[in-house]
Amino acid sequence: MGQSSRFEKLEAALDLIRAACIFVAAVALVVLIATFGWLVFGRYVLNATPTWVEQLALLLICYVAFLGAAAGIKEDTHLGVSLFRDMMPFVIQKVLLIATDFALAAFGIVMLIAGITLMQFGWDTLLPMLDIPESFRTLAITSCGALVTLFAGARGVLRILTFSDWQPVTQELEI
Amino acid sequence: MGLMILLLVFGLLVVVGMPVAFAMGIAAASAFWFEGFPMLITFQRATAGVSVFSLLAIPFFVFAGEIMLHGGIAARLVKLAAALVGHLKGGLAMVNIFSSMLFGGISGSAVADISALGSLLIPVMKERGYRPDFAVNVTVTSSIAGIVIPPSHNMIIFAVAAGGGISISKLFLAGVIPGILMCLSLAVAAYILSIKHKYPAEPFPGWREVGRSAADAIPGFITAVIIVGGTLSGVFTVTESGAFGALYALLLTKFYYRSLSWESFVLAVTGAVRTTAMVMILIAFASSFAYLLALYQVPTKLSGLLVSISDNPIVILLMINVILLLLGMIMDMAALILICTPIFLPIATGLGMDPTQFGIMMLVNLGLGLCTPPVGTCLFVGCAVGRIKIEEALKSIWPFYLAILAALILVTYVPAVSLWLPSLLG
Amino acid sequence: VELRGWNIHVEDYPVSIAMESFMEEVTERTGGEITGQIYHNGVLGSQPDAIEQIRLGVIDFGEFSLGPMGQSIPETNVVSLPFIFSSIPQMYELMDGEVGEAIGAGMIEKGIVPLGWYDAGARSFYNSVRPINTPADVEGLKVRVMSNDLFVGMVEAMDGNATPMAFAEVYQSIKTGVVDGAENNPPSYESTSHFEVAQYYSLTEHLIIPECLCMSLKTWETLTPEQQTILKEAGHASALLQRELWQAREAASMEIVQAGGTIVNTIEDKAPFQEAMAPVYDQFLADNPDLADLVNMIRNAE
Ligand code: NA
Ligand code: NA
Repeated sequence: MGQSSRFEKLEAALDLIRAACIFVAAVALVVLIATFGWLVFGRYVLNATPTWVEQLALLLICYVAFLGAAAGIKEDTHLGVSLFRDMMPFVIQKVLLIATDFALAAFGIVMLIAGITLMQFGWDTLLPMLDIPESFRTLAITSCGALVTLFAGARGVLRILTFSDWQPVTQELEI
Repeated sequence: MGLMILLLVFGLLVVVGMPVAFAMGIAAASAFWFEGFPMLITFQRATAGVSVFSLLAIPFFVFAGEIMLHGGIAARLVKLAAALVGHLKGGLAMVNIFSSMLFGGISGSAVADISALGSLLIPVMKERGYRPDFAVNVTVTSSIAGIVIPPSHNMIIFAVAAGGGISISKLFLAGVIPGILMCLSLAVAAYILSIKHKYPAEPFPGWREVGRSAADAIPGFITAVIIVGGTLSGVFTVTESGAFGALYALLLTKFYYRSLSWESFVLAVTGAVRTTAMVMILIAFASSFAYLLALYQVPTKLSGLLVSISDNPIVILLMINVILLLLGMIMDMAALILICTPIFLPIATGLGMDPTQFGIMMLVNLGLGLCTPPVGTCLFVGCAVGRIKIEEALKSIWPFYLAILAALILVTYVPAVSLWLPSLLG
Repeated sequence: VELRGWNIHVEDYPVSIAMESFMEEVTERTGGEITGQIYHNGVLGSQPDAIEQIRLGVIDFGEFSLGPMGQSIPETNVVSLPFIFSSIPQMYELMDGEVGEAIGAGMIEKGIVPLGWYDAGARSFYNSVRPINTPADVEGLKVRVMSNDLFVGMVEAMDGNATPMAFAEVYQSIKTGVVDGAENNPPSYESTSHFEVAQYYSLTEHLIIPECLCMSLKTWETLTPEQQTILKEAGHASALLQRELWQAREAASMEIVQAGGTIVNTIEDKAPFQEAMAPVYDQFLADNPDLADLVNMIRNAE
């Protein structure tokens, strides 16, 4: 979507946050693969299976999923059905896009609050084998909620502020 | 009433273009709110939905596929396919299908298949006089075979959705013949069209060249052998096999082929993160959605309804297939596997169908859904790679639909197609 | 009120039958004021999720193993100590008495009210390599255990290779040799078909982990004292029924596995195993000094 240069700094900041999400998720993925190598090495070569790998992996995958999904909001890569929206006149399409942004932002807030509650609730439940609070898993939800609100909310606001400057386009998938 | 809210909110959001994963999440949160539950259950279910050990194989398979794409293994597989089947009528279409059989066999991701092979083959096909829509359609439909040829992360999602009682090894073996069958059936369709449109055959490069490209491609193909072989032999669990396949592909492209630069490694990792996140977030919110369906006892009621319409197994299986095809048009595979398996699997096993066969049937069916509008990820990606409009592709895609449907019917009504190989090696 | 019940088992399992009988009795004795719907087969989620949901009041009642509860309620972890109960009848007696009271108090603090203590039998080791008669027989075996420091510690104390692994992967993993064996009670050993791939079943009976029919404290607090009394009495009555059904089920399972070729051996002398567990107990008491009284209450019981 095109917007005037006065929002360039905001866009750059949002993009930095998006890149940070992808970076953290990518590190989590690489660690995940490396620890599984260590798991098999431990079981067959050392005959002592590292017992923390399974639980750590289950923790890391939450970050890959939820941070990656939040970045996907910014990158607009989530799967959706635009067919019906595309059949509408441009003005309605634009209103629908803005409404979708704000619905997502609102959902992000619910997610954020739920995440915080789950974190408080899970503080005295320990993840087996890792002995850290369950809250570290739900932190992924909390962060995802905050990021979804930020990305979708900012896009909605920008779309309103620049309402006459942009046209919805059928999305070209980047390969 | 709660069920109505769940379905209405979901339907409305999908129609206005909300991403499907979030549409499921918002619909689930609304229904929980309506029932007087804390809305945070939505997210507790979502987290629980992705924190499943077997699902860890997904990022590994996806990563292995990305490394193959960016590290040059895909290109070598295409060269091998070209040497082997390029001299047939419509040679490049055959090469396209055969490459999918080899490549899809490893990544199990149809989208990775299309981006990898499509970007290599579609331009060449256009240059050699193939119609762009034909090139795109061959690419898109043949990528579906990779979903049933092992390894495949969608098989793992199915095994998880079925409650963990289904052996992944058996699913892997069961997918081989249906996958090859799909490719053959697509090859027949492509062959007939090639005769009609007078598409060229490529010159046979000679046995020496076949040998050379095979020698070059085989180390790459071993990635699949590691993943499937590791699982079947029991040296590794599926998850570990996935991790080892990924590590092997990484080391191979870095140190043997020397075709993996730092940039392509970064592309592979971030590509894997994006695909994994997209699949996982669908699984996450589909878990919240499926929880409510179970709470409202939808599976029991729906199966009661189906069985009351007919007690003829052939008719019931037909109805299940039609419902899946319709759902496949509007939703993505991972979410549908999670939602529909608990509903339809008990009906199918009640008719005496083997759960493994049901899984393969479901994957072929929903695979077709990836090539159909309005939600057809593979079709979208294929059209983007081939730079044509979706409407353009749709005009000539029907012979390929028919080819996949033929394979689907065989998988549905002939158990041996899926079960013969596992029975032989089980 | 209509209560929502969670259960992981299939409908004809002893637990499921007892839960249904509990609900029937409650409905009858409250004159239809309290009714309930039990969702079997774990359709409402896995056990750790359901524990969280019962604490949040999304699920009104359910039947849980005390094993996974240990992650959030330390008192319940005491029964996950190997060889803590000397026999099943002793477990019944203690759980129906002051030990059950003490553990129950810890549960109520976290929002879960116990109504009756169910039986899940005793867990024993099985593997595909050799019968286990002494702790030394465990040495070097790759044994799948549930993800819990205590169970990992237990196998490691005998120099085995403890391997936490998803339950669903166990059958294939034993069959193909990823692990050598696992441990469970006879009905699970039989119904999962693990006996087909791990033919040695050694009756170590190392873990006697009771289960619990419980209610959400949030729901509990909305009920009248009379209703609460009825629920408690019906809960205990259903526990007695479940124990009876469980014993029958266990005997049936043992018959099936033995007919299927399983080689069952009993352990003549459990003392060497109990002695080998000393480091597990030491570590546990070092981590949970508050629970020393409870541990001793059980260990010193007749
Ligand atoms: Na595959
Ligand atoms: Na292809």
